[in-house]
Amino acid sequence: MADFKDRFNKLLTQVEKPARYSGGEWNTPDMGKLRKADMCFCFPELYEIGMSNLGVQILYDIINRQDGFVAERCFAPAQDLADALKREDIPLLSIETKKPLKDFTVVGFSIGFELLYTNVLYMLDLAKIPFYAKDRGEEYPILLAGGPCTVNPEPFADFFDVIVCGEGEEADLEILRAVADGREKGLKKAQILESLKGIDGAYVPSLSKPDEKVKKAVVKDFENASFPSRPLVPNIETVHDRAVLELYRGCGSGCRFCQASFWYRPIRERSAEKCAEYGKSMIESAGFDEMSLCSLSTGDYSQLKELESILVPYCDQKHVNLALPSLRISSFKSDMVRQSRKSSLTFAPEAGTQRLRNVINKNVTDEEIDNMAEAFEVGYESIKLYFMMGLPTETDEDIAGIAEICRRLKNLYYQKRHKRGLNISVSCAVFIPKPCTPFQWEAQISFDEMLRRQQYLRGLLREIKGVSFSWHGAETSVLEAMLARGDRKQSALLVKAYGLGAKFDAWSESFRWDIWQQAIAECGLSVEEYTRERGEDEALPWDFIDTGVSKQYLLKERKLGYAGITTKNCREGCNACGANRFGRCTI
Amino acid sequence: MTVLKYSKTGSACFISHIDLLRHVSRILRRAQIDVKFSQGFNPHALVFFSPPLGVGVASNAEYLAIDTDMDAKEVFERYNACVSDGLRAHAYFTCAKNPNLQGKVVCADYVIDTPYCDVDVKGGFEITYQKKGQTVCEDVADRIYGVFDEGGRLGVRLALGNTNLRPDRILPALNDRLGRDIAVTDLLKTKQYVLENGRLVDADSYIQSQSI
Repeated sequence: MADFKDRFNKLLTQVEKPARYSGGEWNTPDMGKLRKADMCFCFPELYEIGMSNLGVQILYDIINRQDGFVAERCFAPAQDLADALKREDIPLLSIETKKPLKDFTVVGFSIGFELLYTNVLYMLDLAKIPFYAKDRGEEYPILLAGGPCTVNPEPFADFFDVIVCGEGEEADLEILRAVADGREKGLKKAQILESLKGIDGAYVPSLSKPDEKVKKAVVKDFENASFPSRPLVPNIETVHDRAVLELYRGCGSGCRFCQASFWYRPIRERSAEKCAEYGKSMIESAGFDEMSLCSLSTGDYSQLKELESILVPYCDQKHVNLALPSLRISSFKSDMVRQSRKSSLTFAPEAGTQRLRNVINKNVTDEEIDNMAEAFEVGYESIKLYFMMGLPTETDEDIAGIAEICRRLKNLYYQKRHKRGLNISVSCAVFIPKPCTPFQWEAQISFDEMLRRQQYLRGLLREIKGVSFSWHGAETSVLEAMLARGDRKQSALLVKAYGLGAKFDAWSESFRWDIWQQAIAECGLSVEEYTRERGEDEALPWDFIDTGVSKQYLLKERKLGYAGITTKNCREGCNACGANRFGRCTI
Repeated sequence: MTVLKYSKTGSACFISHIDLLRHVSRILRRAQIDVKFSQGFNPHALVFFSPPLGVGVASNAEYLAIDTDMDAKEVFERYNACVSDGLRAHAYFTCAKNPNLQGKVVCADYVIDTPYCDVDVKGGFEITYQKKGQTVCEDVADRIYGVFDEGGRLGVRLALGNTNLRPDRILPALNDRLGRDIAVTDLLKTKQYVLENGRLVDADSYIQSQSI
């Protein structure tokens, strides 16, 4: 092992940004303590991205707090290091102790995005671990997957021994304990896996029977759930290089396209006192100069005023910049932003017309957009708008509505301020029907139609001065849609695509659509098979997961969507989606 | 103004200078060192560094000046309580103002983890390296101020500061000449010097002469 460490450190002088791999971050837990079992958390992206992931920090912290259990980390290495590892015949190593992944008790992958699937294979390949669970003998660690993509784990189910569907805080530790116990008793892998099946959220693909349900794992007592109040301080600048404070889980808005909104139910809030305590502890233990409040709709947090009254003076005194992102227009209050620096505002109306916003249940009204005038009054000169195209029932009129909103904002701005022009940046994604949403049955618009609508919008926006337009690639959107609602047949596709050279698909410079098209064809699959509309009585690959929210509720929401009828925010009264079977919504 | 002399060793060697700036601001915040901030639209902590150290090179002689009214010993202790082993401080000084090492330092000693042998640079010392995609070839003998025996290991004194010679850039040529395999991680900076009245003065002595 020491052998690998020295040889690995030599390679670090030959690669870009070696601090990605060197470890030694401040707040690294004790790695020298006695190990009953250990787990390597793998994040299939670069260090800069992976270290910004709050989920990894939470789970890493929980395991390292336990006696006898240690968690380490590993991120996808950039191509230069990967080449060097292959050349020197060194397997992929953990950051902390430079231990081969293969030698851990459990290797856990956090999978947060469909376009990271091939990077899982990339890391396994570098770690010299066979892809398929069935090809791994007793000498290999138990491979575990978790993260947001477990909403539909079928595309990668063949690779893993166990998958935690839902929140990993309790399940991961329980699984690690059970594996350690099993190993100590000398149990075989199959016996250990059998023993995991009783754990909430644990899905064992090799042992699953038809009609067997897996209950989504939910942290019931969110108030007292563990939080990394001494977070790791990254060695190099990461994409979210700041203290991140999670205020609540779930979201009551119920936008019909939004997976997170339905998947993270029930809604659970943490008290302002607790949040403030964690926030202060993060600043004091890590020294970050910036803090952001993180939840699906931060502006809706019921104790925001109390929390601000503690954190705003605290952060001022400590020279910490308190950032408040992801506000919905309806929760925008100018008194909230008045104190902070006037950078740019970010809002997500998602659709251009009131009609379509009603369809998707994005409860933002035209009057609320007019309230932006308040923001212009306090000095904002730049605004970012997020939209989606290809939503169910969308017409060209709805797309023209996007340009209309830009015009309207410009007019409002000129009524208030005249000094400089308003900068509007419009970002438009393509709608991707996702499992566990009322739109999970919808078709995705065709590739050609995506291009046509993008061109149409581009032309309209070009006529308005001060508006910049960016859009998501049509190819990646198609692939994301295909994998999001994929099935077991796709594991062969992923292996094929990786074999042909697909990796870092989320990076436009490395995404190769030609490779994917070839892999899809060679596997005898078609894009349309996955992006088509699904029948309401059709069995869906992810039906076996009990998310709390019933299928009937999702269907009802879909029908309301088509009728253009909105559903109220959960905070105004319960909509009876069923998630409270898994714990009460605390809002 | 407190000046700390600190090391940059182990995994901290791989932290670039620009990332180091961010780290120091965080170290000071968690150490609760009462540093002064600039009075501008975008206030930042008033800290000043000696010239940047290349990624991968270790050092026992880096300097950090902190504008604070706190007692230097307290700054030193607080700093060390909140920093990983690779960035530990081992001396402190109190100065009336920023000693401006960034501008004053002219050269540094590096000890290379390889047995001493004489390297003759009188006849010139040509190095080749990549800069912005271009291959640069130049004679740097005038920036190699000395080669010495440091307890059996090879020591070199190279220009640092306004006239600069990156130690990692001489390695390929040095390896060629000596037939060795020296890596960036075999370099350790041991001393920095400033020029005073025409002679080289160790940065420690210089800072001491500025202290109150």
